[in-house]
Order: sequence, then C-alpha cells, then structure tokens
Amino acid sequence: MAEMWIHMGPQHPMTHGLWNLRIKVDGETITDAVPELGYLHRSVEKIGERRKYFMNTTLTDRLCYASAMTWTHCYCLTVEELMGVETPQRAKYIRTIVLELQRIASHLMWLGAYLPDLGLITGFLYGMRDREMFLNLLEIPSGGRLLYNYVRIGGVKRDLPPGFAAKAERVMQTLEQRLKEYEDLYDNSKIFRMRTDDVGCYSASDAINWGITGPNLRSAGVAFDLRQADSYDAYPELDFTPVTTSASDGISDCFSRYRQRIDEMYQSMDLIRQALAKMPEGEVMADSVPVRASGEAFRRTEDSRGEALMYLVGDGTDRPYRWKIRSPMFTTVSASPHFLKGYKVADVPAIMGSIDMCIGETDK
Amino acid sequence: METGKLIQQLGKHKGTSNSSALRSNVGCISVTPEASSAFFTALKEDFAFDHCSLISAVDNQSGFELVYHFSIVGESGQMLEVHVDLPRDTPTIDSITHLWGGADWHEREAYDLMGIYFIGHPDLKRVLLPDGFAGHPLRKDYVYEIHEEEW
Amino acid sequence: MSRQQVRGNPRMRRGLGSRTSDPTTMMEDPPSGDWLTLRSDQFLKWVDDAVYNIAEQTGIRDVVNRVTRPIFNWALRYSPWPLHFGIMCCALEMGAAGGPDHDSERMGVVYRSSPRQCDILIVNGPVCEKLRPKLKTLYEQMADPKWVIAMGECAIGGGPYWDSYSVVAGADTFIPVDVYIPGCPVRPEALMHGFLTLQKKIREQEPGYFLRR
Ligand code: SF4
Repeated sequence: MAEMWIHMGPQHPMTHGLWNLRIKVDGETITDAVPELGYLHRSVEKIGERRKYFMNTTLTDRLCYASAMTWTHCYCLTVEELMGVETPQRAKYIRTIVLELQRIASHLMWLGAYLPDLGLITGFLYGMRDREMFLNLLEIPSGGRLLYNYVRIGGVKRDLPPGFAAKAERVMQTLEQRLKEYEDLYDNSKIFRMRTDDVGCYSASDAINWGITGPNLRSAGVAFDLRQADSYDAYPELDFTPVTTSASDGISDCFSRYRQRIDEMYQSMDLIRQALAKMPEGEVMADSVPVRASGEAFRRTEDSRGEALMYLVGDGTDRPYRWKIRSPMFTTVSASPHFLKGYKVADVPAIMGSIDMCIGETDK
Repeated sequence: METGKLIQQLGKHKGTSNSSALRSNVGCISVTPEASSAFFTALKEDFAFDHCSLISAVDNQSGFELVYHFSIVGESGQMLEVHVDLPRDTPTIDSITHLWGGADWHEREAYDLMGIYFIGHPDLKRVLLPDGFAGHPLRKDYVYEIHEEEW
Repeated sequence: MSRQQVRGNPRMRRGLGSRTSDPTTMMEDPPSGDWLTLRSDQFLKWVDDAVYNIAEQTGIRDVVNRVTRPIFNWALRYSPWPLHFGIMCCALEMGAAGGPDHDSERMGVVYRSSPRQCDILIVNGPVCEKLRPKLKTLYEQMADPKWVIAMGECAIGGGPYWDSYSVVAGADTFIPVDVYIPGCPVRPEALMHGFLTLQKKIREQEPGYFLRR
C-alpha cells in the first residue's frame, strides 16, 4: 500500500484552533505525524517590550482566550516577584476563587468542544450551557464575559460584590447535579467508550520526558500539581491533594484524560467553597505598585492546561526588556506524533481533542 | 535535596559559577557553553531533574544569554535556573534534545525567533514563522515597519 | 427503447430528442434536444442561446426576476451559513452565539465545515502573514454569492496587535468585507446583530436573480 501525507488544517473541524497536522498514512494507519504551528503567531513577546508593565495584561488576557484569568494571573505574579510587591491577603483569596472558576469554565469549554468530535453533539450544547453560568459569574466582578483584565499587578481590580458567595454556591450546586448526569450519560455510552478507551496512550515516564504537564500528566497517575508543589496565592492555606486518574498503571488514554478533567471540576468547586469560607476582610490592592523594575524573575502556575511559566527581565525602565512565555500546549503538541503513531485516521480527533488544544498560547 | 546543598554540589562541576538560591526551592547557576553538555547530562542522570520547563534566549546586545529552567516532577517542586552566555557572532550550543524530549520545540523556537544554533538537534528549522522569513525578530537589532497612523 | 440503449447507440448519439433515424434531420436537430449529452461549456452556451437571450429579448426575464427575486432573496437572507473557522478569541464568542443561550440557529445560521457549502466567511481574529494566503484560498473556494464579516478589532485593523511584525492590518486589506463588528471580544449579541445587518444588506443589495449570468 502506498503511503501518503494528509493535511488536517488550518481549516479543519478537528483542529480546534488554527494549526495544521500533517499525517502520513499507510492505508488507515498513521505512521508519522508532523504538527505545524505559527498561523496565529502574533509576536506577543516582541510587542510586549514596547508596552509598559501594566499594559501587558491586555496581551496576556488574549494569550489563551479559553482561560484568560489564569494567564493574566501568571503574568501579574511574575511582575510582583520582579518588583517585590506584596499582595493583600483578601486579594489572594479572590484570585484563588476566580482562578478556579476560570478553570471550571475552561474545562467545560473543552467538554463542549470534545464531545461533538466523537459524535455526541448534545455534549456541545450541554457544555456551552453550563459554561455560560460560570461566565456570568465571572462577569459580576470583572465586567467581561471572555477576557476579564481583572487580576492586576498588586491585587485585583475590585472587590467581590456582596451576595457573590450565594450566587456561586447556587451555580456550583447546579453544576454538580449536571455533572452527575453527564457522567451517567458519557461514562456508560458505548460509542464514547469505544472511541476513547485505549486510544492515544502514553506512559507517565514518557510524558514527563516529553514535557507534558497539567491534567494530561495527572491523567497518567502522576500526582504533580503546581498549586501544591510551587504554591502561590491562597493555595497553601487550602486543604487539597492533586486528583489523578489513569487507565491502567501509569498509562494515560483519552478516557482517563476525560475523567481527569471531570474530577478536576469537582476539586475546583471544593476549593472555591473552602476559599469563600476562609476569605478574610481587607484591601484588595497593594498600597503602592512601582512602575519601573530591574533584575529578572520567573514564576510558574498551574494553568488549566498545564504548567505556565513566565520569565521577565527588566532593565530599570517601565517596560520589560525580555518577556518569555512557556505555554504548556506548545510542548504537548510537539510530543503529539509520539502518541498519534499506530492509531487510525479516525482516532485523530479523539486524541488531539483530548489534550485540550489552545492555539492562542501556543503560537504566542 | 535542599537547595543550598544542591547548588553546592552543582558548583563543583567544571565551568560553573555564580551559584545562588533564588527562592526556597529554586536555585540558580551559570555554566560556560563548552562545559554545558557534561553539566546537563549530570543534571539529568545524577540529580534527577526530569522536566525541562523552558529555554529562553535573551539578547543582551553584547551577546546572547540562554536561560534554562529545569524542575523535578515531585512533591518538592525543586527548580533550577541555568544561565549560559553565548558570543554574539557564533551563538551555538549543544542540543539537549536527547536528554529531555520536551526541549525539542523550545530549541526550535529559540532558533526561529533569536537565531541560536543548537548542534545535534534532529530537526532545527523554523517553527512559528513561515519558511523563508528573513531575520530573527526577537533580536534587539531587528527593525520592522510599524504601520503607525495619525490619530 | 430504454434510455441506456439510446445513449449507448452511436447512431443515436444526438440524443433523446431526435426520435428519427434520418441523418439529415439529425444534423439540424434543434438545440432543445441536446441537453443530455452536452459538455458543461456546451451546456452553458445552449442555456444562453435557448433561455437567456430569448428571455432577454422578449422581456420575460424581467417578469421572471420580479417574481423570483423575493423568494430567492428571502432564502438567501434566512440561510446565511458561515464557515466553521475559528481564528482567535472571537471564535469562542462565535461558538457561544451558536450555543444554547443565544442560539443563532433560529436566524438560519448553521456552521458548515466545508467552504464549498458556505455563504459567509467570519474573520474572527488577527490575520497573520502565515495565514493570509490560506484565508485568501478559503475565500476563493467559497461559491458565489458570498459575504465576509470582520468580527472584532483584530479583523478590522489589527486590534491589540497593531504594531506586530506578523499581523496584517485588517482583513479588508486582501478580501472585501461587508460587515464590520467592533468589540474586543465581540459579544454574542453583537455578532447576532451583525447577522441581522447582513440580512438587511442582502435584502437591499442582493438581486436574487433566477436568470443569473
Ligand atoms: S478582537 Fe479582541 S477578542 Fe477578538 S480576536 Fe482580536 S484580540 Fe481576541
């Protein structure tokens, strides 16, 4: 059988963004794969050098649009480290709450995008419906639906309004009920199981070597969560252990990645409840935030998709000298040929969907 | 391992200097490009740094600086920042792709945007910009036309 | 005699319309009988001769157009199928507009993945140099009549990335844009308003001719 190359992208319903996957097939079996990126390269790192520190939150919001809050937070954390700013305690708790809300919204977005790939169109409608509840919740303090610009250097933009906790509780209770429904619906669905079980497998040791992080790594049974390992904000004061799943010992497949994200949503809701209960009173913004900075700093946070790391070099002016972003998906996509090889062409949407692509952060 | 002890042991390696502790679990060290290969191998094999987080290239006008971030996937979350200074006219260094598979595209990106050459990289070509793009845009001396309009 | 036999018989090559075996009449066969075995360019010429020119001369065309235009226009207006193509943040709002809360499908907006089946190209994000040729190809692959919606600041003029070395200053620098929707991000309601604006534009400007050339 002659081998040939197939292009999937840049406009392809599988891609969930703007990239191109070239696969080499022998009949129906994938023998090689080459991901191609760069269709969305906006040169954020370069134009960030032309803007002042506080202006760059506009760009970081748009890095990963499905999870804007976490990226702005990572940037603000790095700049605070660089400038030596101490965030007030209440702001830390508020950050924790909105980060977890954002994580749930991002995972629901993933759920809504993943299931139609596998032929469950209702999944899209359910996912989007529930995501809308969380967007409305995040809109209350920030005023934005998708991009918030809420986390600022030195704290957050404004305090949570009264009654937020009650609203959040109501939304979370609804989601809990619905998640149970979805689990009944999908976990036992024959179509879903046939397309996800034992598809796109990789082992934990391989994943670590390839640089895969976040839910994709934890779904192989590795209990590594930066919220705990390199803790920030209010996470040290909350009580949690990283959730893990795995298909079999130390192996991750599409189904375990799905389970991982569902379980993380439960965990996030638990964290939000804890944070809302423990939240102290006080200011939400640091008294004075310097404009200039020098030296270098980096911080890493647990983004919805994995390890986000930002490295900043300041030269004493009010603009960064060098700004480097580590995107978790950039590394994961680079590893994708390893876990695509040997599967069928029809498995490509199932595998590439399950790692939760976000091209905005990948192409920078 | 404690950060203090770790950087003390790492400081014994050939070609290292300026070792310090940045935070409680983050160390920082400088290496010369010639000694980098042996140093990174030791880092992977003896000190169990199994995750290469990031490779950033910085244009210092007089030369280039590569900043590696390595970490240990485990409870401690131990991290290490490694600085390597490269000369401006021959920015080359040995690739670490054979040690950490995740470093592959980070090296390609550093080549693409900053023009650093990694010797021994299996597939060193542009990753974000189209083939045939002229120059390396993240260098400070890269000039481009900005369509600035009158307000 | 079945149709298959007629087409297979070389002597009867001239088609179904000629039911005679007389060679002289076969040569002067009227064009109305030829439609079955024509090539596409011959067919177009035949349509021109037999329908279009006659309709033009006799004035029937105006009458037909006046009758069909409302129907065609209505059909075009209420089935604006956009291409399922997401570039950046605004694509998520496009998805949200198609989701259950806003439900743009009630206006006939159904997302299709093939450019051949689409009427609308929504440019929902910054167009980078690497993407521009591909987007141009996508636009050219779409069948007429087609419209372009520039959704968000990026597609209008570069948006937050206006000073980048790789972002094109707006979609209208290389494809014609019909509707601009400002916003960063564009809210789903604004996108739906954009669809309504496009419907207005179609109502006013689209001829909707049955006898299109
Ligand atoms: S206009 Fe704003 S929200 Fe829309 S794609 Fe551009 S940056 Fe994103």
